[in-house]
Amino acid sequence: MTKTATPSAETLNAFERELNDVRDDFMSRIGQADADYIRKVIRTQRLLELSGRLVMVLGFVHPLWWVAGVIMLGLAKILDNMEIGHNVMHGQYDWMNDPNISSRRFEWENAGDGNSWKRYHNHEHHTYTNIIGKDRDYGYGMLRLSDDLPWRPKNLWQFISYINLSLLFQWGVAYHEVAAERIFVGKNKRRKDSSLPISRRQLRNDFLNKAGKTIFRDYIFWPLVCFPVFWWVFFGNLAANIIRNLWTSTIIFCGHFTEEAQTFREEDCINETRGQWYFRQILGSSNLEGPRWFHILTGHLSCQVEHHLFPDIPARHYPEMAKRVAEICHRHQIPYNTGSFGHQYFTVVKRVLKYSLPDYFHSRPRAAA
Amino acid sequence: MTQSQTLELNTWSRGLRWVTSAVTLHQNLADYVEPLAQMIWPGWQASSWRARVLEVRPEQADVYTLVLRPSASWKGFLAGQYIELSAEKNGARAIRCFSISSSPDHYRRTGLIELTIREQQGGLITPWLKQAFASGGGVNISAAKGEFLWPQGDKPLLMIAGGSGITPFRSMLQEAAARSSTRAVHLMYYARDAHSWLFHEEFQKLMLSFPGLTLSFMDSDVQGFISAQHLHDFCPDFVTREVMICGPSAMIGMARDICAGAGIVSDHIHFEYFGAAPLDMPEAADGNYVVSFEREGKAVATDSDAPQTLLDVAEANGLKPVSGCRMGVCHQCICQKKSGVVFNTQTGRYSDTGPGEIQLCVSVASSDVILDL
Repeated sequence: MTKTATPSAETLNAFERELNDVRDDFMSRIGQADADYIRKVIRTQRLLELSGRLVMVLGFVHPLWWVAGVIMLGLAKILDNMEIGHNVMHGQYDWMNDPNISSRRFEWENAGDGNSWKRYHNHEHHTYTNIIGKDRDYGYGMLRLSDDLPWRPKNLWQFISYINLSLLFQWGVAYHEVAAERIFVGKNKRRKDSSLPISRRQLRNDFLNKAGKTIFRDYIFWPLVCFPVFWWVFFGNLAANIIRNLWTSTIIFCGHFTEEAQTFREEDCINETRGQWYFRQILGSSNLEGPRWFHILTGHLSCQVEHHLFPDIPARHYPEMAKRVAEICHRHQIPYNTGSFGHQYFTVVKRVLKYSLPDYFHSRPRAAA
Repeated sequence: MTQSQTLELNTWSRGLRWVTSAVTLHQNLADYVEPLAQMIWPGWQASSWRARVLEVRPEQADVYTLVLRPSASWKGFLAGQYIELSAEKNGARAIRCFSISSSPDHYRRTGLIELTIREQQGGLITPWLKQAFASGGGVNISAAKGEFLWPQGDKPLLMIAGGSGITPFRSMLQEAAARSSTRAVHLMYYARDAHSWLFHEEFQKLMLSFPGLTLSFMDSDVQGFISAQHLHDFCPDFVTREVMICGPSAMIGMARDICAGAGIVSDHIHFEYFGAAPLDMPEAADGNYVVSFEREGKAVATDSDAPQTLLDVAEANGLKPVSGCRMGVCHQCICQKKSGVVFNTQTGRYSDTGPGEIQLCVSVASSDVILDL
């Protein structure tokens, strides 16, 4: 994998200033239009969810109703997780001072507990993006995606592991922190002290509670409410969850695991300036191009670069910001990773497959240092 | 109710809450429905009531009265209470507390309440409210709150008001007049000069329907701040009265000292700081500020020469708030600010003075601040 050399301190300082200007410029535009926008998205999500659940029940009239209902519910779950949940929990709308749209209280329609996600995603992943050993989102402890990690035999079938992870993605999100803390399995599972701001017991209870609620909602409550068509609703919800899981997983893999997305070592982030941090965020992320509806359904994670630079600016501004960020990168000769959804996803699949084999099979002879 | 019945009820309501949060992902159904309800009733909120602004009536150059019609389900109020008024300014909810300056009797007859508001110089909200609602509009109000109420019994009263601290007294006096009260009430109303008494004529007319009322309009330009001499001169029997004080905090402090010094027991001294309204200034004067950690019951002074983030202040004082990246990225250290202005070092912006959520790791106190920690 190519690694871009760190630019001179002078370049990095200019780069930092220019990106700060972009941030300040967009920060000053935040206001009524953003509030109206997120309220509209939430309204749309509610309507899609409720009508999806209703239309699904009509499956006994004609199966096409069931299909329509599943798609509507799947879209509602995608909107909730991506454009609403992910962005609200990043604090993009905290300035609105609305308790229902605040990062402190928002809970998303996902098996993962929002507070747990905020800890490992907002803190660990966004601060230490793509640093091997610190950012556990890099490969999720399952996949080998660069030659920073030694090859192990289980990597041989990691493409299948990846497909499984995608199908069950919300459970991966839920289990992520619990796995890292060795709550249920692992060597240290009997230890008492917690490396988190909450106790191990609390982490376990939050996980079980949210998982229980998720199973109850989709596989007990709604099927029972529509009792005569219990199984239609049961499998409808399952299908909607799979749609959401595949979509979110695919988009997120495109954000950091494309062919050109780079990795870093722990020492790279010691005493980092803001400019160096910006630089690392840009090298570690990749964008997707597409129409507006596509950006909305990805929660604007299609603009992963801008999201990593400015995680708490309302995401609807990212496509506009991207034009300026790309121009700044171009001027400073810093690589800016973007491409069509199809192309970027193709390189992700290539990467998962490539590193499933030992380095021996794909390493090219290197020039003597 | 027996203990086991209570227990059963608790289990039921806990179960119901669990089901609600499982199905709707909100603490209660109303919060989940809120965005849909807003399609029919714009601005509707589950936790407050809508109110229409019917009129913005000027009282003086920098004082105006908002005339509101609360929605029919609003629960009413007692004379002397205040409400939290929240209005959306450029997408952000701003919340301020105001005493209701009209009487419950007036509300029963007309369905209207009045808030009398002084525009804070350089304030973010009070001057804006006046302009934004000049031709009407909708706001949200809380249930009425506050314990600064007309005392029970018939012990004579002394009311001491300063500036716009007159508002709860106007409500109480109008209500007493409407109920044909025979209680003896002496109102001493301090204003900065002879043009600044609010409702001057109205109070004089009120004496006709409220024979027990005595008025002393005090002009601070001429008579100076409140003193023991004033009380002896204008209300010689004040020691035998129950005292109510509302106005600027310095005045409240002085008045309390005078009354306590004259031997009035503290049970008979009631006071309220401007109807609980927080200051409305974006930036207080230079100096050291007090950061209060409300849950911890701790207050510490900050040093303006060596500004520290609120996260550092909290940790230096033994608190352990949840935190993460310490660089303003991860939003884990979000904390409820009850009041006060903070400066966000990342965005270079000052916060609103009212309640709101802030990131501790990039916020520096820029006035006295009260935190929910």
